Amino acid sequence: MTELSDELLVAYVDGQLARKQTQAVEKVLEQDDVIAKRVAALKHAHGRLEAAFEAILTGEEADAAATVTPHPPGLFIAWATLGKVSLASAGLVAAFLMLLAGFGWPLATPEFSRQSTGVADPDYVGSIPPSWQEDAARAHALLSRASVEVGLESQGNRDLVAFQLAQAVGPNLTVPDLSGQGLRFMRAQLLRSGDEPLAQLLYLGASGAPLALYAKKSEETAAPSFKRYGALGGVAWSQSGISYLLTGEGDEASLTKLAEAIRVGMNTPAKAVPDYSPLPKPQPKPKP
Amino acid sequence: MLPRLKRFADLLVGGRKEGTALLRRALQRMLAEQHRYQRGTALDRWAFAEIYQLWLAELRGHADPMGQAKADDASFAQLFRREDGQPVDHFTISFLRHLPPQQRLTLLLVYAERFDHIDAGRVLDVPADAIGARLVRVSASLADRLSAREPHSAGASVEPLYPELAS
Repeated sequence: MTELSDELLVAYVDGQLARKQTQAVEKVLEQDDVIAKRVAALKHAHGRLEAAFEAILTGEEADAAATVTPHPPGLFIAWATLGKVSLASAGLVAAFLMLLAGFGWPLATPEFSRQSTGVADPDYVGSIPPSWQEDAARAHALLSRASVEVGLESQGNRDLVAFQLAQAVGPNLTVPDLSGQGLRFMRAQLLRSGDEPLAQLLYLGASGAPLALYAKKSEETAAPSFKRYGALGGVAWSQSGISYLLTGEGDEASLTKLAEAIRVGMNTPAKAVPDYSPLPKPQPKPKP
Repeated sequence: MLPRLKRFADLLVGGRKEGTALLRRALQRMLAEQHRYQRGTALDRWAFAEIYQLWLAELRGHADPMGQAKADDASFAQLFRREDGQPVDHFTISFLRHLPPQQRLTLLLVYAERFDHIDAGRVLDVPADAIGARLVRVSASLADRLSAREPHSAGASVEPLYPELAS
């Protein structure tokens, strides 16, 4: 009788042996009934274990299949869903008929847009305020690369700011002095309207929100007209190749009055000698 | 893959209900700590190891870990279901139930999942040699028991009517 360990026989049954080892074991099996019986018993055990594990998986898959919701009866879709859809459709038709009765034919639907999107838009009459994200996104659309790159040095100096903005927007652009109206010039920056530069001049009164004067190049000439943009009012006009918009929280009367003052001030000829020059003032020659 | 993971968990704890709960906890932990998953690792091997590690960690927290690891007879038998209507192999089921969970999983990973000894060792956090040794021990044990159960040869044995006279 040949002595073969269970380690070797289990490895043989599991197919873990190399070909030569397998052939050697098979040779022994042909000659030794005891070893052959042992291998048969191991194979039997192996088969029963595999079957047992397969039986667990069968149970798991059957359970998984049983948890799938059966398709409800109906014509392509469930009867319950079909009923809901029918009710919803009937409601929509009824609503449409009531709309027709209320507005007549052809339908004249009111403007539902919440905020003005351009010059041609109707006045903003919406009662739902736009979200801050919407406001911020709209404001961000005005920023250009020049807004960040171009440094308007000495922001407190109107003449220097006007010089720099005029180079971008147009030579006739001026930065009005509104100190007579109680407004102090704070700063300015260059934005964009589409691809065109847009100047923003900011003023601050004794209290309240800032007031802004926007300016961009324009070939048209237009008289001042007031328009409301939500909580803000604006007066727009064009003169000397520049289109302006004065906007703030004031009412129509105060904004129109302020716009008129700016227009008149722009028409006044500038002083022959500016108060400020970016060049250093000439020093008087010392007398000998 | 989910039925395979479920089978692994069921066999580990010895019951369908407890296996479902263990698998749920393990999946939650895997999702919460998915950063620990290393790219290139087979997902099923990682998931098996996670289930086993969680079971081990929870077992350590018990006052009687060995008692917790024992499977209930009735719930363990319910794990096995034959689709073809053949009778369930109660002998093998009983044999498996009395094995330590680690040995049950060793058999499952090698004989059902077809993992090699190295991968099975990684899942169960033991060397590949230990996997081989477990397989030999359990297979030999089951083979022995099956051989012992085999019906005796057809030789007749006459039971004496009066044993006291026979002696």
